[in-house]
Amino acid sequence: MASLSPPEEAASYHRRRSKRYPSSSTTTNGVSAAESVPDKRHKIFHESSSSLISPSEIEAEFSHHDPAFARINNGSFGCCPSSVISVQRDWQLRFLRQPDRFFFDDLKPSISQSRAAIRRLINAEHDDEVSLVDNATTAAAIVLQQTAWAFREGRFDRGDAVVMLHYAFGSVKKSVEAYVSRSGGEVIEVQLPFPVNSAEEIINRFRAGLELGKANGTRRVRLALIDHVTSMPSVVIPIKELVKICREEGVDQVFVDAAHGIGCVDVDMKEIGADFYASNLHKWFFAPPSVAFLYCKRSGGGGGSNLHHPVVSHEYGNGLAVESTWVGTRDYSAQLVVPSILEFVNRFEGGIDGIKKRNHESVVEMGQMLVKSWGTQLGCPPEMCASMVMVGLPVCLGVSSESDAVKLRNLLRERFCIEIPTYYRAPGEGETDDSITGYVRISFQVYNKPEEYHRLKDAVNELVRDGFKCTSLSD
Amino acid sequence: MAADDRRNGDSTNHNHRDPKKPRLSEFLTDSDIRSEFAHHQTGVARINNGSFGCCPSSVLDAQRDWQLRFLRQPDEFYFNGLRRGLLASRAVIGDLINADDVDEVSLVDNATTAAAIVLQRVGRCFSEGRYRKEDSVVMFNCAFQSVKKSIQAYVSRVGGSTVEVRLPFPVNSNEEIVSAFREGLERGRENGRTVRLAIIDHITSMPCVLLPVRELVKVCREEGVEEVFVDAAHAIGSVKVDVKEIGADYYVSNLHKWFFCPPSIAFFYCKKRGGGSESDVHHPVVSHEFGNGLAIESAWIGTRDYSSQLVVPSVMEFVKRFEGGIDGIMKRNHDEAVRMGLMLCSAWGTNLGSPPEMCVGMVMIGLPSKLCVESDEDAIKLRSYLRVHRSVEVPVYFLGLRDGEEGVKDRDGGLITAYVRISRQVYNETEDYERLRDAITELVKDQMTCQNLPPV
Repeated sequence: MASLSPPEEAASYHRRRSKRYPSSSTTTNGVSAAESVPDKRHKIFHESSSSLISPSEIEAEFSHHDPAFARINNGSFGCCPSSVISVQRDWQLRFLRQPDRFFFDDLKPSISQSRAAIRRLINAEHDDEVSLVDNATTAAAIVLQQTAWAFREGRFDRGDAVVMLHYAFGSVKKSVEAYVSRSGGEVIEVQLPFPVNSAEEIINRFRAGLELGKANGTRRVRLALIDHVTSMPSVVIPIKELVKICREEGVDQVFVDAAHGIGCVDVDMKEIGADFYASNLHKWFFAPPSVAFLYCKRSGGGGGSNLHHPVVSHEYGNGLAVESTWVGTRDYSAQLVVPSILEFVNRFEGGIDGIKKRNHESVVEMGQMLVKSWGTQLGCPPEMCASMVMVGLPVCLGVSSESDAVKLRNLLRERFCIEIPTYYRAPGEGETDDSITGYVRISFQVYNKPEEYHRLKDAVNELVRDGFKCTSLSD
Repeated sequence: MAADDRRNGDSTNHNHRDPKKPRLSEFLTDSDIRSEFAHHQTGVARINNGSFGCCPSSVLDAQRDWQLRFLRQPDEFYFNGLRRGLLASRAVIGDLINADDVDEVSLVDNATTAAAIVLQRVGRCFSEGRYRKEDSVVMFNCAFQSVKKSIQAYVSRVGGSTVEVRLPFPVNSNEEIVSAFREGLERGRENGRTVRLAIIDHITSMPCVLLPVRELVKVCREEGVEEVFVDAAHAIGSVKVDVKEIGADYYVSNLHKWFFCPPSIAFFYCKKRGGGSESDVHHPVVSHEFGNGLAIESAWIGTRDYSSQLVVPSVMEFVKRFEGGIDGIMKRNHDEAVRMGLMLCSAWGTNLGSPPEMCVGMVMIGLPSKLCVESDEDAIKLRSYLRVHRSVEVPVYFLGLRDGEEGVKDRDGGLITAYVRISRQVYNETEDYERLRDAITELVKDQMTCQNLPPV
């Protein structure tokens, strides 16, 4: 059985350690100069670290992706380049080598580094405002648990409202049921139009939803839970405006679910002004599964000390950020690679902003190409999408239910090796038979190529030519 | 990942096997074992398997295969591979622990998570008026700190009361423990209260003692305790686990401590009871699976790396390569730990914290009184000293004696105030314990105490 350490890792490790063990400059809580974090060693492997990444280097970074597939669904599970996976493995190895020392000396300072890097990226005031958790699902449970306590302990009146979007993610809806409904809160869902034509449509519907929440002043809206980018159907929500309206209308707290946040849209906490903001890093920010940040504004309604990680450890009561640094023995390596992600994105022109801009331009271009070929439409105007866009499917395919959409997705995967999520949109009142009821959500990330979208175009056109109908698909 | 295994009756591959390759039916040699743990830091006497466990290369390789599968095509893995893989792990565990139904077996990150799940449920019962304010939760005083904090967060916060049972230590017999526990239950019922939950460690962490968990659960049933939660973080791979025999309502054990899994995975057993009360047990990270039962809820708590939960079948392959399988490993770990413990006692003139039959692959050994360990801080200092200056990783426990307690004296006639907890796992060697022995002996010889240890 070969040792786990690649030869380079072992050689580098021994270069840093002249003695067998220990390093005399190590302190119990600090990381000594000799103990550079793994990502610094990574510079050894990149000869061209000062020049921009080339297309073939990008391919190499994602060579672990299944080459048979047109992988145009970055939105669901994200991606992680080899460089970052490699650094993650270094961290995992470090724990396995000597876990006690890792726990006592390395873990906390390394998480702090990641948090500090994120704080700078998102323009937060203070590192304390940045907690690292597994994913947006966990962040939602944390915020909603706090809301539940307020209901249970009488700070909120039974029947006070929580307002959320109808298109909120399924898990978040269940979390609202488990925590808010169960503890006596009333949930108001705001229906948004889809397809959507302007930000105003969303703003108007949201205002109406808040009115419903306030019920003529008979109750308070304790929490507004708003997606920054809805998942299905996917649209960028005018979040700054909605937060402002919430403040004007006396909503206690605003929680922005930005699962598709960092690396996808602009994420500036001070500009957005929410009390809580959660974003996955493994979707659009090249982190391995999984890591997300939950931002909790220190001043105002954020009340950071009220939030607790539901998995209680000995750190309970030390603030959410510290509680989240230890939720029992587990693999924290995904939380430790943020500095190496920054190294990766800075090899692209314009860094993460350049990547966002080009992803947006490409996804719109590909979306319009598909719309032209299929004779359909986009689900929203280009300015209301980021790196994902909903593209209408030809009506003749006959997507007439959610089950049809799922079956069509499976067919695209199994017959055509195309990975793409599908969406069924029930026709509205008064709509004719030729309204578009099926959409696909295409994503564009740095590893994608136009050929993949042409494959999708051709696959759908083939189905149309063959007179395919969803009803022909078996369960 | 394994080639043919003739013990499975598959003889068809026998003729194609490379004669240079060792037969899988042969057990791992010492050198094979060293290879499996070659990623452990050399030069360190790693005698603390109890804290963070270990994972052999074969299993790490299997884990990487799972991780790669997700990275390669995550949607396909999510829709077609994940749940099946998790079910396979759960089935293996269910068989191992003698659960009636695989639905009773959920996979979570660790015992800390399981404690939060149980205590959240208890908390809801208080909040929603099913339990009366001041009804009690009974546990041992040496319960793991996160469990205590979890009780504070979910039970005390809503008005439940707690009763702590002081664990007799050093301890000489199961009877001492059962009797202390009975007395604790009585306190829990004072003033007309009901004991709503008893939390019993199967193997306490610090100080480390194997508790008579079957008897304790029986006592709970006799005394009308509503629910029993066994926190068995160290159990699987240390001691035989038969959840039906033990009879608790909830039972959790980490697999990354003594069962060779990578960080982290624990199984959480919830007994099916009439009335379906187990349906009100929920994972705190709520996903679209909410309401489908804890096992299903836990199988999807958002996008994350589930690979450590998928390697259980590979771990079974690994332990089968030891004589007697996991039972053989447990027995040898126990016997060696006791042997090393006795060697240390004899060298230092001290005692074992509990008799051999109340130890597993971990043993508490008294430290010489001359080291003057007088506080928790001293214990931490000594531990750091051993790590940094002697390359020995071993946790140190300070035993705070209450007024009037006699305590145990060492060969020099001084009070034993501290213990080390040694662990023995398949990768350990005698030299590891000899290094500890010599480190302590030299400190004493040089008249070093916790008060004059060199800084780390």
